[in-house]
Amino acid sequence: MTSPRLPRVYLPLRQLQDRIATGLITAGGIGVLLAILAIGVFLAWETLPLLALGDTFALSKLSPLAWGTLKAAIAAMLFATPIALGAAIYSALFMSARLRSRLKPALELMEAVPGVVVGFIAGLVLAPWVERHLASTLLLIVWLPFSAILAGALWHLAAARLRRRLPHSWAGLWLIPWLVCMVAVALWLAPWLEHHLLGGDLRRLLDQQYGMDYATRNALIVGIAMGFAVIPSIYALAEDALADIPPTLMEGAQALGASRWQALWKVALPTAGPGIFSAVMIGAGRAVGETMIVLMASGNTALFSASPFEGLRSLSAAIAIELPEASPGGLTYHLLILAALSLFLFTFLVNTLAEVVRQRLRRRYHRLGGRP
Amino acid sequence: MKPLSEQSKRRVNWLNDGLWPWLCAACVALSLLMLAALLTLLATRGLGHFWPATLEEVTLTSGDIVIGQPVRETPLPLNAGMERLYFTGNRDINGANWRWIAVDDISAQTTPNDLIRLERTPWGDFIGRLVAVESDGQRLTGQAAWDYITTALAQPASQQGSSDLLLITADGHALRQPLSNVSHFQAPNAMSWGQKVTAWGQNVWRFLSEGPRAANTGGGVWPAIFGTVLMVILMSVIVTPFGVLAAIYLNEIAHQNRLTHLVRIGVRNLAGVPSIVYGVFGLGVFVYGIGGSIDNWFFSDELPSPTFGTGGLLWASLTLALLTLPVVIVATEEGLARIPDAQREGAVALGATRLEMLTRVVLPMATPAMLTGVILAVARAAGEVAPLMLVGVAKLAPQMPLDGEFPYLHLERKFMHLGYHLFDTAFHGEDVQAAIPLVYATALLLVLIVLVLNLTAIFLRHYLRRQRGNEC
Repeated sequence: MTSPRLPRVYLPLRQLQDRIATGLITAGGIGVLLAILAIGVFLAWETLPLLALGDTFALSKLSPLAWGTLKAAIAAMLFATPIALGAAIYSALFMSARLRSRLKPALELMEAVPGVVVGFIAGLVLAPWVERHLASTLLLIVWLPFSAILAGALWHLAAARLRRRLPHSWAGLWLIPWLVCMVAVALWLAPWLEHHLLGGDLRRLLDQQYGMDYATRNALIVGIAMGFAVIPSIYALAEDALADIPPTLMEGAQALGASRWQALWKVALPTAGPGIFSAVMIGAGRAVGETMIVLMASGNTALFSASPFEGLRSLSAAIAIELPEASPGGLTYHLLILAALSLFLFTFLVNTLAEVVRQRLRRRYHRLGGRP
Repeated sequence: MKPLSEQSKRRVNWLNDGLWPWLCAACVALSLLMLAALLTLLATRGLGHFWPATLEEVTLTSGDIVIGQPVRETPLPLNAGMERLYFTGNRDINGANWRWIAVDDISAQTTPNDLIRLERTPWGDFIGRLVAVESDGQRLTGQAAWDYITTALAQPASQQGSSDLLLITADGHALRQPLSNVSHFQAPNAMSWGQKVTAWGQNVWRFLSEGPRAANTGGGVWPAIFGTVLMVILMSVIVTPFGVLAAIYLNEIAHQNRLTHLVRIGVRNLAGVPSIVYGVFGLGVFVYGIGGSIDNWFFSDELPSPTFGTGGLLWASLTLALLTLPVVIVATEEGLARIPDAQREGAVALGATRLEMLTRVVLPMATPAMLTGVILAVARAAGEVAPLMLVGVAKLAPQMPLDGEFPYLHLERKFMHLGYHLFDTAFHGEDVQAAIPLVYATALLLVLIVLVLNLTAIFLRHYLRRQRGNEC
């Protein structure tokens, strides 16, 4: 027996609209995603002529630039990683919840400060100042961690009433005036130390004893400026990883008699390790690709030198300066596109690695019974 | 291992539990301190520039007299003591705008009330004294001259008539200055506090509303503001529909499998790709590829001078739209994912088609998230400079991209941008020293715009989370 043939139903207008809209959305969505993917395809396509050229000499032009990129990124990471991770550890584990909910937007704002502004401050304000006060700057780098420890020691010695007034969970805020005072002390002390210990001018000493040149805009400045720009992104991801640790883990450790610091060092850091790793990776990706800060704060001299007091030129800065002048189709044009391709591949790979690691971590937290 | 004594155990505990947390706390404090220092520096230097500065008349031990605005003091390079930088203006007479004077050489220092400062179109500022005004054969001195100049400058340039200012500089050099070339007239030492506040407000307004003068070392940034805003508006018009479309497709229509998972990771990662790479793509594909073809097809009579085959407003907005697409997609997707499936199922159960479910239930609920994404995208685009250097920003655009000439919106024109304006004046200007205060003001303006946009996004997101609860 055959089933009765149903009368053919004409699609009502609503369903027709729905079909059309779905089709349009699908087409639009796939189109947008393809357009985004086209970036990689375009860059790879435009570097193919270099293969046909087979000119290895041309490639060697890029190597000082690659070195400059690496040097700038390393300098920035040396400055940013300890500060960002320290801040993340403190705000995830020690800070009062109210301060934390205020601090996160503040650091988000720090991330939003445009690179061109940071570069301007670094190149035209910070660089001349550091050139005149090199000894003070180097002293500050040693002095500030020391002053934080000093603050801790003083706090432990202080009366209980004062301790209640200035609790450790708010230290991120009330340490600011303390640090300002300590910076002032260091600046006051530095010329004296420079005079008595180093016998005058540190820069002249560097030049005469070690033969180190000092360029106004150098890797040190780039490190500080780009570190400033990278701190918030490392902080945000590392803080997320640390704050999402299932609370049962930390509570269990503390119930077994671990101090807060031991719980952090032995339990929290190993658990959140992948998350922190991915945070640092994403920070490195940002540091490698940042253009304006390097362009404005580095002096743009393509040198092979490991000295932190000499200038550098990065791939991204070279692209920004030279590509508008390069004639399309010429050797320089293709070389610069190769530079762009390597930046693209590097950041893409690093970010993918970080993302995969982060998703593993999220699954691990889920298994451990924390928040998803 | 030797067991620790009770006392040393406690010491180790103190080291462990007391020391490291303080270092970590100091990291937070240091980050906040750096941010605060940056913002304070920008605010004080950027806003302080507009304050009518006191002019000093300095008599040197050698007998010379210098009139100028003290700028800063630094230690002398060789001897002990300080030297002070004065802005003396009068580039047509002295040949330079600046003069360094050792503080020890100053024998007298006064601030007479009759010192004036003029802003002129050629040669920049004049600093000195007013002797008289000659207007149509009439010679005015004293208060009458002041009143005449004030009323004349308030009128538009065409009605000022021809009149000359007779001026004298500090060292007695006389000068005849046509009033038509003077844009601003001030006697800062004679001003009361209230007048200074008014003058400060006027200066801020002139900075925001006027075009640059004297190779970007003076004047305002209005064309740069206009260019930035226009470019950002065009960009959001392009990025919003496409970003939302892609997010809806990814989240609502595509089958959730390994491929969509990979695509999602890819989109997320594109947000981390350096902006300069997008600039390279924009230059290669939009400018040279599409722009070049358009030129060949439609504007071939104007070749070899390119119309669309060079950087311009359209290509810049397209490039930035591509750059900010991931931001919009990710934010919208987050908003869509937060909407509980029960809402969708409820709508479909009541007989809605998918389109109706999307437009009447899902999208209204996801609107704040979309808005957050667009605001974040705008904030990112407003501060981005590197890709624009490749696809169409200009240090001084002769024509605005929007004017009364058909077709009113000129997409192929180059435009000025606040961030690039800042970079260019600070690093490629002729007289960087003179431009620095303006650069500070520009930087402050840029940071304010970006921060306000970001704060809006943060509050919007906060509002959204509170309204919806954190869990759904």
